[in-house]
Amino acid sequence: MPKRRLIITGLMLVVVSLLAAGCFHSDDENGNGNGEAAQTDTGGEDSGQEGGGVFQQVQDRGNVICGVNDAVPGFGTATEGGEYEGFDIDYCRAVAAAVLGDANAVEFRALTADQRFTALQSGEVDVLIRNTTFTASRDGAEGARFLHTTYYDGQGMMVTEESGFTELEDLAGSTVCVLSGTTTELNLETVFQARGIDYTPLTFEENEPLQQAFIQGRCDAWTSDISQLAGVRSAWPDAEGGPDSLVIMDEIMSKEPLGPVVRDGDDDWADAVNWAVVVTIQAEELEITSENVQEMAGSDDPEIQRLLGQPVEGEPFDAGLGLDAEFALNVIEQVGNYGEIFDRHIGPGSPLALDRGINALWTDGGLQYAPPYR
Amino acid sequence: MAAAAPTAQVKPPFWRNVRVLRWAFQAVFLFLVIVFLLYLWGNLTDNLERLGIRTDFRFLRQPAGFAIPDSDFRSSQSVWDAFLVGARNTAVVSILGIVFATILGVLVGVARLSSNWLVRRAAALYVETLRNVPVLIIIIFWWAGILIRLPSLDENELFGLVNLSNRGLVLPWLDRTADLTLFLVVVLLTGVAAALVIRWRTRRFDATGEPHHRVLWGLGVALAGVTLAYLVTGRPFTTSLPEVGSFGTTGGFRLSPEFGALLIALTLYTASHIAEIVRGSILSVQQGQSEASNALGLSGFQRLRHVVLPQAFRVSVPPLANQYLNLTKNSSLGIAIGYYELTRIARISISQAAPAPQATLVLMLFYLAFSLFIALVTNIVNRRLEIEGR
Repeated sequence: MPKRRLIITGLMLVVVSLLAAGCFHSDDENGNGNGEAAQTDTGGEDSGQEGGGVFQQVQDRGNVICGVNDAVPGFGTATEGGEYEGFDIDYCRAVAAAVLGDANAVEFRALTADQRFTALQSGEVDVLIRNTTFTASRDGAEGARFLHTTYYDGQGMMVTEESGFTELEDLAGSTVCVLSGTTTELNLETVFQARGIDYTPLTFEENEPLQQAFIQGRCDAWTSDISQLAGVRSAWPDAEGGPDSLVIMDEIMSKEPLGPVVRDGDDDWADAVNWAVVVTIQAEELEITSENVQEMAGSDDPEIQRLLGQPVEGEPFDAGLGLDAEFALNVIEQVGNYGEIFDRHIGPGSPLALDRGINALWTDGGLQYAPPYR
Repeated sequence: MAAAAPTAQVKPPFWRNVRVLRWAFQAVFLFLVIVFLLYLWGNLTDNLERLGIRTDFRFLRQPAGFAIPDSDFRSSQSVWDAFLVGARNTAVVSILGIVFATILGVLVGVARLSSNWLVRRAAALYVETLRNVPVLIIIIFWWAGILIRLPSLDENELFGLVNLSNRGLVLPWLDRTADLTLFLVVVLLTGVAAALVIRWRTRRFDATGEPHHRVLWGLGVALAGVTLAYLVTGRPFTTSLPEVGSFGTTGGFRLSPEFGALLIALTLYTASHIAEIVRGSILSVQQGQSEASNALGLSGFQRLRHVVLPQAFRVSVPPLANQYLNLTKNSSLGIAIGYYELTRIARISISQAAPAPQATLVLMLFYLAFSLFIALVTNIVNRRLEIEGR
């Protein structure tokens, strides 16, 4: 009888759903209180407020998984041998040196601008060091926690030399190429609207097709962080005119403080990464380099002794970060101080030829200022 | 004695009763499925809460912050409005793609059955090449290999009305100069009048046998009505031609290279599949039909038009519906070349702080709506074509 079957099916659905739902009474407190389905751990503790989150996982695993860029010369590129090198890459290695004692204990994951926050939120990467700008909506809605800024940047505009444009007003009516999923996309809209400049945006998910479009003249200008533009320009193929055929305008369209990012809710890991970065700046302030760090370890200066984890009348200083006492020494020896990292990849001697500018130490008039290690 | 106690009264114990067991297995299976789904749901919401990411749909009302080219969208409008613009772009590409792919596919499919050896081979080459290349490659090839390598604006000549460059194809368009409502009302009435005229001519043809020329009559009525409306309502629009400026053209209607590449690639790819479907459906019509039409003295074209294709069409509707759905979903590959369709807008908003699970869910619901609509239309067509009694 079809009607009877219908009634039985309906009753069955209701009963089964109630039973199943009764097994899950989550959302009131942490945890799914059920004994039926298998429970897998999501990062140690459920709330992640206690220690043992990512920090523990990294130590168990023996390496740090770092989300990086592979398309910006100077900050993050893949070399021919498949290795990664760049300013951000070196900071990944600094984190590994601090937490694990070995700067090479890193696994790199190349991410596009669109994917990076999803990869961070889902736990695919432990830390994201990928020329990412610190903004309010990323802090809040994206569930990210930003650490000490490694590079204070601004947004700029790049055009061809032959176009002769010098200011943004020259671009009225033009097509501007920009990467999607970035703050530069939003800033472009804000700045051009505020100045009343009419334009057409053309966005891409990766630098590859964007570069093609710019070369072919599909768009008239390329906007991005000035450090990225400098990087791209330094590697511009000679067949298209080489770096001298491009010019980066003098206009700075926005503030772009770039730094490492971790997930919200894991303070121990955030502190560890933060101090791994800060000690490189502190080292430059104290004039400790990767070459003289072993000598400096024998110094009588109590600040240097404290930083390098040397015993001061008995015990070496322990800040309670969960890191090795000599973590700063490991970082400086294996990676270098802030100035060395800067000069190696993006400084005046490199293809990018960027000045320290506002990234100089505070004692030289810049913004890099390390909180005291005590 | 056998008639006294009917065997149907004796019931086996419940653990051996097939009916009970069937229900029991279904109940257990349903229970496991629901438990699994609830577990996934709980996992997702717990993790989102742990990260402090919202689990509601409020992001849809937030201002988008990004601009969308080739539209009136302002960055201060909401994310939901951005999704609607993306849906409109997807719909435009899908509908045009479906129309062009069907036309091209039918032509190629018929060509594959032609008696001319060269035509047959050329059609076969087309089908075999395009069917076997991933559509993403075709899209990128058309965009990066052809359309953005068109001459740039300075070197381009203006062919009078139309401007073609690597910035896009600009067609002459109409610019509204006054309110259009009265004009549109009159146009609607004209459409109704044209339909009535066509019906009248067809009736007349059925009754007397004189040629109806109904298409000409209908078009004539429509044209006369529209012209009258235009003049009477005070010429509410003027033509706008493309003019070359320093960066791009102003005026006219612009089709971007991204749109062009996506449309052309989708059309070519889907047409190769539709050609095979058409070929199969033509071959499924009985040989006797072609022989009979030849015996009646119908030309090749008349045989196709009046005998074979109408019968073949009935068979081809379900697979065609499939291809239309595929085309609609393949339009999402426009993200590779920067065309602002639905998937692109969703990805941009996710990367600008919209929560990923909710935004993806909204995206899927939009595609589901498109697909269900296409399925509905083709099901109606299918049902009307069905042979009764099947």
